[in-house]
Amino acid sequence: MKPNEIDAGIKSAQINNALGVFIFIFGVIVLFAMIFTDTFIQHMTDMVAGLLLIAIGGGMIWRSRNIIKKLKANKE
Amino acid sequence: MLAGIDYFIVIAYIIGMLLLGLYFKKYVNSSEDYFLGGKSLPFWAIGMSIVVSDIGALDFVGVSGQAYRYGVSVGNFDWVGSVPAMLLAAFIFIPYFWRGGMYTIPEYLGRRYNQKVRTIASVTWILFFALDLGVLFWASAVLLNVLMGWPIWISIISTAGVVGLYTYFGGITAVIMTDVVQFIIMFIGGFALVFLSLYEVGGWDNMVEKISTMGPEYRNHFDIIQPQDTKSPFPWTGILFGLTFVMANAYMIGNQSIVQRCLTAKNEWHAKASMIFGSALKMFIPILVLFPGLMAVVVHPGLLDGDQALPMMIKSILPPGLVGLMFAAFFAGLMSSVDSLLNSTATLFTKDIYEPFIKKGADDKHYLKVGQITTLVLLVVGVATSPISSDFPGIYVAIQTFMSYFQGPIFAILLLGIFWRRTTEWGGLSALVIGIGFAIYLNVFKEQFFTIEDPFLYISWWSFLLSFIINMTVSLLTKKHSDEQLQGLVFSSKILVKNKTV
Repeated sequence: MKPNEIDAGIKSAQINNALGVFIFIFGVIVLFAMIFTDTFIQHMTDMVAGLLLIAIGGGMIWRSRNIIKKLKANKE
Repeated sequence: MLAGIDYFIVIAYIIGMLLLGLYFKKYVNSSEDYFLGGKSLPFWAIGMSIVVSDIGALDFVGVSGQAYRYGVSVGNFDWVGSVPAMLLAAFIFIPYFWRGGMYTIPEYLGRRYNQKVRTIASVTWILFFALDLGVLFWASAVLLNVLMGWPIWISIISTAGVVGLYTYFGGITAVIMTDVVQFIIMFIGGFALVFLSLYEVGGWDNMVEKISTMGPEYRNHFDIIQPQDTKSPFPWTGILFGLTFVMANAYMIGNQSIVQRCLTAKNEWHAKASMIFGSALKMFIPILVLFPGLMAVVVHPGLLDGDQALPMMIKSILPPGLVGLMFAAFFAGLMSSVDSLLNSTATLFTKDIYEPFIKKGADDKHYLKVGQITTLVLLVVGVATSPISSDFPGIYVAIQTFMSYFQGPIFAILLLGIFWRRTTEWGGLSALVIGIGFAIYLNVFKEQFFTIEDPFLYISWWSFLLSFIINMTVSLLTKKHSDEQLQGLVFSSKILVKNKTV
């Protein structure tokens, strides 16, 4: 891999990491909102929405950190 | 009104978006970074961004309102009115724009025809985007007013402040990457609303049965194809000729805010793939935006303003937490549409007006600064013009009306420019000017020509047809371009199979 390709890859992974953090935090907040619901169906809807956001955000963080680690090792 | 947790979610979302957008400031070092994201973005992010900036606030509020008033036929805008056009854009038009290293659609028109065509097209888009901004701000105010009880001017100004800041600093990278988050939030919030609304009305079959027995005005609510003499703005002739043939193509191929996203792709493959991926995602949109409007007919019958259908559904159906999420999703759509317009208009002004006419040959940092200042000026214009949109009965129709003035003529000259080598600069110029004039004329005297309430689909079709004929006629009478002048600007079958990496 060329140095500029590695830099572009790191930039891209850093962006994805930032997006992942945002989505993850938002998912936690939605999950927390479960305690304010009245009915079972509302409870479940909040839970599914929150867990989905956490899964997407967490997945993005995990993948982008792996890529950054790998690319930095390549660079060195 | 929102509960405490929903307020918290909305405020957290707004602050988070602001911080996330500002984070991208570090990636903006040149005008190419600001306007084209350094040509480094992946197809999936661009595809999501295209969809979310297209559906935005207008579809959430406007299409739900139209579905409430006229039924499922409004879904045509996202199916036949988007998918075929996006595929055509991906395989034929985007490769030429991308290979040419272009920043704007008018830049292509300038190379293919002449500078006058470029300037007229660019000024037209700038004017449209400025008015569009006002409509978007007004849409935000309507929803904020219903849900949070904020005064209209406060909500307009707070939206302008948040979006303006991150677009000003982060450029198109901030625009596209915040769109990715907005897309995810919108889809999750939207599907939650559809699921709970269906639960509330007792399932799809129950809803169909209830609406069908509500009276003769609901007889065609579930007909995707409306008869030609319908009172709704979506007769099948208008959908086929005006929407599918003209407006959809003009929007996906000739709209700066859509095409500019594809030009940020890291290579040509990603540029094409972004449009194709976007078209696949687009097929889900009617489920998100149309169904809540339909279900509001059962849950909230007799609303005087259809545009209130969605806010009322959010308020009455969703649980605490999801009201905030859904409102954040709406706000996300709105912010996405606004940031796209801001960045695209700044690009059009800087590249098509400022650079050729006001200051040629300045250094790159200067053009970067001009783009940023233009963003700020546009914010002020958008806020100031927002009350205009309150004079129109439906927010979505207002936008389509503005667009029908020039979508047809611009698409006619783009189409002939790519596919017909014989078309000349004078052909393009006359078609553009006469076509736009004709569309305005038809719109002003629409009662004399059309029987339906909002004939914007017909106006775009007839103005397209007239521009097409004028372009061909004038081109045949004037001097044609040489083969050298047309290099890389007209269709060749090689474009379908070869990818180029810059």
